[in-house]
Amino acid sequence: MLLFHLLLLALTGVLLWMLRPHRLRHVGWLAALPPLVVTVWLLGQMNTIAAGRFPAEQYVWSPQLGLDLLLRLDGLALFFGLIITGIGAAIALYTGYYFAGNPRLGYFYGLLFLFMASMLGLVWADNLLLLFVFWEGTSLTSYLLIAFKLEDSKALEGARRALITTGLGALAMLGGMVLLAQMAGTYTLSAILTQPASQFTDHALYPAALLLILLGAFTKSAQFPFHFWLPGAMAAPTPASAYLHSATMVKAGIYLLARLHPALSDSPLWFWSLLSVGGITMLLGAITALRHYDLKAILAYATVSQLGVLVFLLALPSEKALIAVVVGILAHALYKGPLFLVAGILDHATGTRDIRQLAGLARAVPWVTATAILAGVSMAGFPPFFGFLAKEMLLESFYQFAEKGNPIVGWLGVAAVVVSGAFFVAYSLTLLWEPFFRRQVPTNDPGNDAAPVHHPPEFVLVLPALALVVLGTALPLLISLVEKPLLIPAVSAMAGTKVEFHLALWHGFTPMLLASLFAIALGIALFWARATLRAGLERSPSWLDGRLIFDQIVDALYGLARWITQRIQGGSLATHISVTLLCAVALLLYALLQLDWRNDLRINWAALPTFTEVILAVLGIVAAVVTVRTRSRLSAIISIGVVGVVVTLFFVFFSAPDLALTQLLIEVLTVVFLVLVFYRIPPRSHPPTPSATRWRNLAVASAVGVWGFFMVLLSVEGPFLPSIADFFLLNSVDAAHGGNIVNVIIVDFRGFDTLGEITVLIIAALGGYGLLRATRLRPVLVPAQSPDSDENATAALAAKEPAHA
Amino acid sequence: MPELYLWLLDRLLTPLLLVLALVLLLVGHNAPGGGFIAGLVVAVAFLLQIISRGDDYVRQLLGPYLQPIMGIGLLLAVMSALIGLTQGAFFTGVWWKIAIGSSTLEVGTPMFFDMGVFLVVLAVVTSYVLELSRGPAGQEEQ
Repeated sequence: MLLFHLLLLALTGVLLWMLRPHRLRHVGWLAALPPLVVTVWLLGQMNTIAAGRFPAEQYVWSPQLGLDLLLRLDGLALFFGLIITGIGAAIALYTGYYFAGNPRLGYFYGLLFLFMASMLGLVWADNLLLLFVFWEGTSLTSYLLIAFKLEDSKALEGARRALITTGLGALAMLGGMVLLAQMAGTYTLSAILTQPASQFTDHALYPAALLLILLGAFTKSAQFPFHFWLPGAMAAPTPASAYLHSATMVKAGIYLLARLHPALSDSPLWFWSLLSVGGITMLLGAITALRHYDLKAILAYATVSQLGVLVFLLALPSEKALIAVVVGILAHALYKGPLFLVAGILDHATGTRDIRQLAGLARAVPWVTATAILAGVSMAGFPPFFGFLAKEMLLESFYQFAEKGNPIVGWLGVAAVVVSGAFFVAYSLTLLWEPFFRRQVPTNDPGNDAAPVHHPPEFVLVLPALALVVLGTALPLLISLVEKPLLIPAVSAMAGTKVEFHLALWHGFTPMLLASLFAIALGIALFWARATLRAGLERSPSWLDGRLIFDQIVDALYGLARWITQRIQGGSLATHISVTLLCAVALLLYALLQLDWRNDLRINWAALPTFTEVILAVLGIVAAVVTVRTRSRLSAIISIGVVGVVVTLFFVFFSAPDLALTQLLIEVLTVVFLVLVFYRIPPRSHPPTPSATRWRNLAVASAVGVWGFFMVLLSVEGPFLPSIADFFLLNSVDAAHGGNIVNVIIVDFRGFDTLGEITVLIIAALGGYGLLRATRLRPVLVPAQSPDSDENATAALAAKEPAHA
Repeated sequence: MPELYLWLLDRLLTPLLLVLALVLLLVGHNAPGGGFIAGLVVAVAFLLQIISRGDDYVRQLLGPYLQPIMGIGLLLAVMSALIGLTQGAFFTGVWWKIAIGSSTLEVGTPMFFDMGVFLVVLAVVTSYVLELSRGPAGQEEQ
């Protein structure tokens, strides 16, 4: 059933993509159906999972690589799965009306559902490599969704940044996963997690594995200093931002940390890296959010901050912190998603998301306002909303750590939470007050009049957001209902053992309540002083952004690539070939140095060459010398052909008819090609090649000659592995039904190689086609005064090639 | 066609080479030959046509088909490898025995793969020859 649901969602995406759904007015309801089906199915699994039975499926895929299609639904997978499909259904409905009539709706739906399937696969995967595959699937769909507006260069830049950042992180994570699997002896997640944690934390590979995996998690979940890609990703259409970049995909890093928590968390390295990175991200995101005016930018930084909170919590070694993580994820998904949807509705209705141009919308869009208020006060953490419960749990975790663990870290944690909580309050209030309730926009801001509402939103556009906030408002009051079937199994999966707890909205008059109220009071003060604060924040150095550093690194990389390309493939064919050949020579030289000359090379000096062989060899040498010495191009071409024919004759004498035939044909074609190429190059009109160049060419050529000599010698007499020719001889007729071993090797034993080769051949043909076409448009003219006309002519040819970059 | 040798190239050698290519392709699995060699032979045959009848003639005759042939060849190769999936893995050879009278003919996916190689090689090499042979004549058009 698990695979069925993944396929159902992926198939929905493909179908919607193909069916051009924008012609259907109410396609949103149809699109919301598949995720709803999965949600209902997941809800039905809750009791099974709470009872400790986890549905699992296995499909053999590539056992040689340790890669099987293993899916497993435990408490954590169920918890994330419900968020993905539940919010996914709401987003699918919203999208249908958000993009009503837009011809690219189908494309958007396709990506959205492919993402949903990847994300669901990510949390259900029970194999590290499979998890990685789905992880990359989410990155790619996210990239395409950010770049949805193809004509918007900002969107493309943001998409590129997001892809490079998360892609590099994912590669690091893959390395970490391989190390982890080395330590555990298996790629199966559930098997890894049942092994004792000390097996990992005491292992010599542990620090490397952990840091690499953290790199993956931190880039994906937009942690400092990689947080910059998330605000850039806001160029995506709003439904995608609400879904991927707030509710689900950015939680993938959190999911990974939570998933591996039982195995990896018991070490100071885990504690300090998560504590510092999470803490910085939490504060940085919360403070930066206040500085922005774009609704989506504010929400993006708020999301960064919330992700920081979750990482911050995962550092703590207590059950309470894990409970707080689960509550935090749920609360965040239920208020942040709707807020994004509201931002999209306002954008739709007024044409702007800049809160400097929005005012007094409460009367114009009452339902939207109600939704925003319910979500906003939850984000601010006002009692008795979900955000309040999450913040209580957060504060309590650090309070407990201060009492039982390290008091300094614990109290600093509480302080950091209170400060960031105050900023949460401040930007939440700003977000509610400025667009909805204030009378008019301040006169000193650009665009003096508040933007009017052009298209009042249909109710059905508000419905998904409203449904989510109503759920989010009701849930804390009914928390005991979901506690046993949903939250306890999720926390148990993170803890690695069965956990029991009981949540309550009201804890009595605890120090935590006091801290919470203090944060709210401080937040209201910050809200009043927001104009001053914003002015101050705008003066903060821009390099804190991280984006600029990223751009500089990428530019430097491009520069380096250009520099290297200039050195080795700068357009001069002579240099290009010399570099390639000398690399081959260097490799061989290395191999020769490893050789034990006395024993490894047994040359049979007694085997004299026959008379024919001597004649052929002399003929070949003479032809080669003529090729180099002659002043006429035509005789050079002919004598190079003679060299080739001599080689062909050698093949004939050593009874290799296939090789001889091929060689002969290649020689014929080479001669023709050379004639045709030289025909296009203007006749020589040059002063002789400078002697330095000639000596260089001579040196390279001699080195390559020596290389060829030793290659042949080593392959015949060398101390290498036994020849595989016998295997081919034995199996050719029986296994491959062919008597011609050369052909059998090409099409059967080494068929995969051949497939690659013919693919390359086609690419080369198409490239050459374009190249030759391009040069015909602009005839190659070689300057008469050039020192080495052949070289320059080829350089000019190469320069016509589309830029390397 | 004034010159005798051109007439020989055109009327005698080209068909001979094409037949030779076909033979090489078909016997290739058991005797010297195979798709790669056969493809080269066909390319040489077309080269003779270029020499005897001029490149424009050959270009008009073949030009539009070359790139489709490359694609079809690659597709054929991939498809024949995919058939192996039914026997367990990508590229596993699948063989059928066809009885014709008293003798049996063995036909297998590697043969189709070889034909794919043949098509790719002949189209790639021919297109290169055609493009290169356009030469200075093309420049004079400027």
